[in-house]
This record gives sequence, C-alpha cells and structure tokens, in this order.
Amino acid sequence: MKKIMALLLVLSVVFMTACSSSTTESEVGAEVSGNASYPMTVVDQAGREVTIESEPQRLVSSYYITSSLFIALGIDDRIVGIESEPYKRNIYELSAPELLDLPWVGSPKDFDFEACVALEPDLVVLPLRLSDVADKLEKLDIDVLLVNPENEAGLIAMTELVATATNTSERGQELIAFIERVKTVLNDSLGDAQPVSVYLTGNSDFLSTSPKGMYQSDMIALAGGKNVAAEIDDTYWVEVSYEQVLVWNPQYIILAANAEYDVDSVMNDESLSICDAVINGNVYKLPAEAEAWDSPVPGTILGSLWLANVLYPDKITDEQCYDLIEEFYETFYGFSYSSITTAEAA
Amino acid sequence: MCALFLLSLFVGKYPFTIEGLLAGDERQWLVFKMLRLSRSIVGVAGGFALGVAGYIYQTVFRNSLASPDIIGVASGASAGAAFGILFFAESLMVTVSAFGGAFLAVVFTLLLASIDRSGRNSTVILAGIAVHAFAQTILMSLKLIADPEKELASIEYWIMGSLNGINSSSIGINVALIVISMIILIVLHRQALILASDEGEAKMLGLNVNGSRLLVLMTATVAVASVVSMTGLISFVGLVAPHVAKRLTRNNSISTMVLCGIVGACLLEAADILARSVAATELPVSIFTSIIGVPFLVFIIFKGGKGHE
Repeated sequence: MKKIMALLLVLSVVFMTACSSSTTESEVGAEVSGNASYPMTVVDQAGREVTIESEPQRLVSSYYITSSLFIALGIDDRIVGIESEPYKRNIYELSAPELLDLPWVGSPKDFDFEACVALEPDLVVLPLRLSDVADKLEKLDIDVLLVNPENEAGLIAMTELVATATNTSERGQELIAFIERVKTVLNDSLGDAQPVSVYLTGNSDFLSTSPKGMYQSDMIALAGGKNVAAEIDDTYWVEVSYEQVLVWNPQYIILAANAEYDVDSVMNDESLSICDAVINGNVYKLPAEAEAWDSPVPGTILGSLWLANVLYPDKITDEQCYDLIEEFYETFYGFSYSSITTAEAA
Repeated sequence: MCALFLLSLFVGKYPFTIEGLLAGDERQWLVFKMLRLSRSIVGVAGGFALGVAGYIYQTVFRNSLASPDIIGVASGASAGAAFGILFFAESLMVTVSAFGGAFLAVVFTLLLASIDRSGRNSTVILAGIAVHAFAQTILMSLKLIADPEKELASIEYWIMGSLNGINSSSIGINVALIVISMIILIVLHRQALILASDEGEAKMLGLNVNGSRLLVLMTATVAVASVVSMTGLISFVGLVAPHVAKRLTRNNSISTMVLCGIVGACLLEAADILARSVAATELPVSIFTSIIGVPFLVFIIFKGGKGHE
C-alpha cells in the first residue's frame, strides 16, 4: 500500500510539474508568437525583398534601437549577439540584464562581420547605413533586415517590419497602438495651445542643435512646441552660433538626454544671460533614467509626452504624464519606471 | 586688416544696427561686446600670431614648408583637446588641456632633439616628426574610445577649427599671452635671423644657439597654443602667410615678420566672416582659410614668376 501511495505521489508530482511547464511554455508562446506562416517575404526599409524560411530564433542586432525593439516585442531571449558596449544603455540593465553578457558584434561605426557570422544568426537587423554589410551577409545565406527609424513614420514602419519577420505582429500592434494613444492624448490636450519656441541642444555641445529633418524636430512638434532650428533644412546635428541662439531667443531650452553638460552650465553661461529661456529658468534636461527619449527608440513618444508636460503643465499634468510612462515600461519592458526614478532621487 | 576687422564687426547672425548701438540699446551692446567684438579680436590676434609663428618656424628651421606642426604643436594640441573632451566636461578645461598638449609636445620634441649634442636643425625636425606621430597615435586611441554620438563629434569639430565658441569671458588670458609672445618675438627677431644661418656662424656671432632656439621656439609655441586652444586647429595660415609676405617684401627684415602677421590676420578674419555668414549654420573656419589662401598664394607665385622673366 505504501508503495502504491509513493507511486501515486511521484506520478502526481510529475504530472503537476508537466502541467506547470506546459502552462509556462504556452504563456510565453501566447505572449510573443503569432501564427505567421513561413517562408515569408518582407520588404525592408531599404526596399530589399527578404525571404525568411522559418521563424527566426537566433537574432543579432548591432543597433541599440533595434535591440530595444526586440525587448519591447518580448523576444530578447532570442538575441544571440548585440551592439558594442551595451552596459551604456540603462534599459538593458532594467529590463533584460542577460543582454549584457552576450557577445558584441560592433556598432554601426565599426561592425564586426566575423563576430556576427560566428554566431550563426537566423536574422540580423542592421541600420540602413550598413547596407554594404547586408549584401555580404546575404551572400552567406544570412537573412538581413535594414531599418531606418530616423523619423516617426520610419519608427512605425520598422516596428511593423521587425514584428512581422519575427512573428510578433500582435505585440508590435500593441506597441503601435500605445504610441497612437499617447499621440491622441497630446493632440486632444494641446489642440488650442499657442506653440512655444524650443531650442533643443545636442549631446556633444550646447551649440549643436537638431534641424528640420531630425527626429527631435518631430518630437518637439508633437509636444506642441516650435523647434526654432526647424528653419535649417538638414538631417543631422548642425552647429550654430551664440548669436543665432539669441536671435531665435527661445522660450525653452531643452538639453539632450545624454548631453555631456548640465542645466547649470547653460544657466550660468554669460553669453546666454539675455535669452528668455535662461532669464525665466526654463532650461531642462530630458530624462535618461531608462533610455534617451530623444532618439528613435520604441519609447520615444514618451519624450514628446514629457516635453508637453514641461511646456504645458496645465494641459498635460504630472499624473497624466507619469501614469502613461509607468504603463509603457510595465507593459513592454517589465519594470516600474517610478521605482527607478524614486531610487535615483533618494 | 583694419577694414576686415571693421567688416567682421557687422557680419553675423545678430541684427545690429548703427542706430541701435548709437542709441545705447542695452541688448545690442551686450551681444556686441560679449560675442561679436571678442570674436573679431580673436580673428585678428589669432591670425597675426599664426602668421608670425609660421614665419619663425620657417626661418629657424630654414624650411619653407615648416608650420606649427613641424615640432608637434598642432598634433599635441589635438591630442590634448581630445583628452579634455573625453575626461572633462567644461570647455575651459578643454582649452587648458589643448594648451597643455601643445606645450608638452614641443617640450618632448626639444628634449628628444637635445640628445644630439650637435644642435642641428634637422634633428629638431626629426624629433618633431616622431612626437607628431606619437601624438597622432594618442589622438586615434582617444577617438576610438570616444562615444560616436557625443565626444567623437566634438573632437572632429574641434579639429576642423572654429571661432564659434568665443566670448568675452573666455579669451582674456589667451589674448594676453598672444600679445606678450608677439612682443617677445619682435624683440628676438634678430636672434631668429641668426639662427637661420649656419650653426657655426651663429656661434661665431656670439649667440647661444641652443638657448636662443629654445626661447624663440617656445615663445612661438605659446602663441600658437594660445590660438588653437581657443579655436581648434586652423590650417594653412601659418604656412601661407610667410610665403605671401616674403614675396611682397622680398627681404627678411622685421617688416616682413610684421607683414606675415598682417597677412595671417587678414586670412583668418576673412575666413571667419565667411564661416559665419555663407550658410544658416556655422561652418569650420579651416575650409575657408584654405579656399582663400590657395588662390592668393598661386596668384603671388604667378606674379613673382612673371616678375623674374
């Protein structure tokens, strides 16, 4: 009888364990995988047709923006190679610390071709400027998607493309829906607001700024602001003079999230002492606790939200702003934003 | 030079008006004194210093291709600036670091050259080439570890040179050093000319060759380092100004040295006027020093050649 009881006990433990593992697997599967059929052909953001034979399980990203997208899509466990120096990105530590231990494949500046090939990836996602690398990888039968999230439409297109290729379209649509929801909140709340002028500074230097063609210009517009440098028709950081900044005389000066200098250095700069933004103390730095919202990462819409809260605190309240930020990171990155900001403040 | 200086006071993004300035418009006066005037002063003083220093280097080394980098000044300043950009956030520290880099490079060059007791100029030049190569290696290493989105962009922009960041609070010490260096070099003009002759002859004339060379070169280096630590590298002025001045005066008197300074000042001031006015953004000044300097030099050579015929 004891033997029968023991056997029943063992069988029940095995059964319960099996049930519990199958539940876990099915939960993960339901969370990220859709029902796409392979082989599938997609057109990447360079206009290349890429045929993917089966659902990619080994992903390589040499671009922090696509690495962040993989996390948001819930497929960070499929990443086998990542861009150089991932420890510089807080978001990995907060959301997917296992990425910090992965092999590096270089950066868009110095892509390590051999390191990438050695990882035997199913799919490599590269920025558009590495199109020559994509051609070489294709010759080795490695699928490559080229992406170009340098404006808002490009970011949405990149999200759809990567989500489709990795069979995570449902998650991708949730991400896009969140972005659209925040845009609606901004449009509805700021509809009749008088645009205030904003000067956004670059990471390297206070006198470098984002012209019309940069993502940051869209971010300011979405927040109801007017980018004073939008009159410059360019697509990369440009250098301007103190005199030009004084001619623009912006109402707000916003420092890039990763700026090498701080708010005090701008406030104490004698050459800017007659600028309205400095006189009124309207100099702020974009938060960088999680990631730089002034770069086209999936959470970049939060940059517009935060900026709208700074520019129009009566229209976009603190509560509205930080509730949405909290929801975003809990939903797509699995951590609490308020807990990290509280910890930093303490 | 005076005309260009005056012109530079009224070219730029901020819309000054004579009426506004005469009426004592406080805002206009503040911007004028703080930004425009100081930038114009640095254009003239910096160009003058680079021209005179170029003349000194070419004379002392008896090498018409000599420029501040022949003894490692420019590459030392670049490595120093890159170090400052990477490890210090403040722009003042970048200036100090660039100045220190330039000075350190020259000290190394002269120390290396002192190993050869014959005191030949060619040894100094060879030592300069070695220090230049070493400073370039340091610069490359610093660029390699620099963040491409932040520090690397700053280093690259610094190397291209610009008078954009100049304001009244940041130029005082550097301009004072330039003025003092220029006075010393004018006083030492005779020694510089003797150093250009054969070492034996110089010694026969009672000159302490090594001591005088050290003094003259260090003074010229202080002048160049004072300029480039404020503006970043400015190419071509130190090389072309002496050629133009010598072609115009056809002698090596003190007036030639002063003319080198005037040509350098005109070149840098004109280049800066273009750098701040031809586009909606600020452009690197070295582009324009070359664009203006090359045709001018070709014209002078062509005119000189026809004169000889």
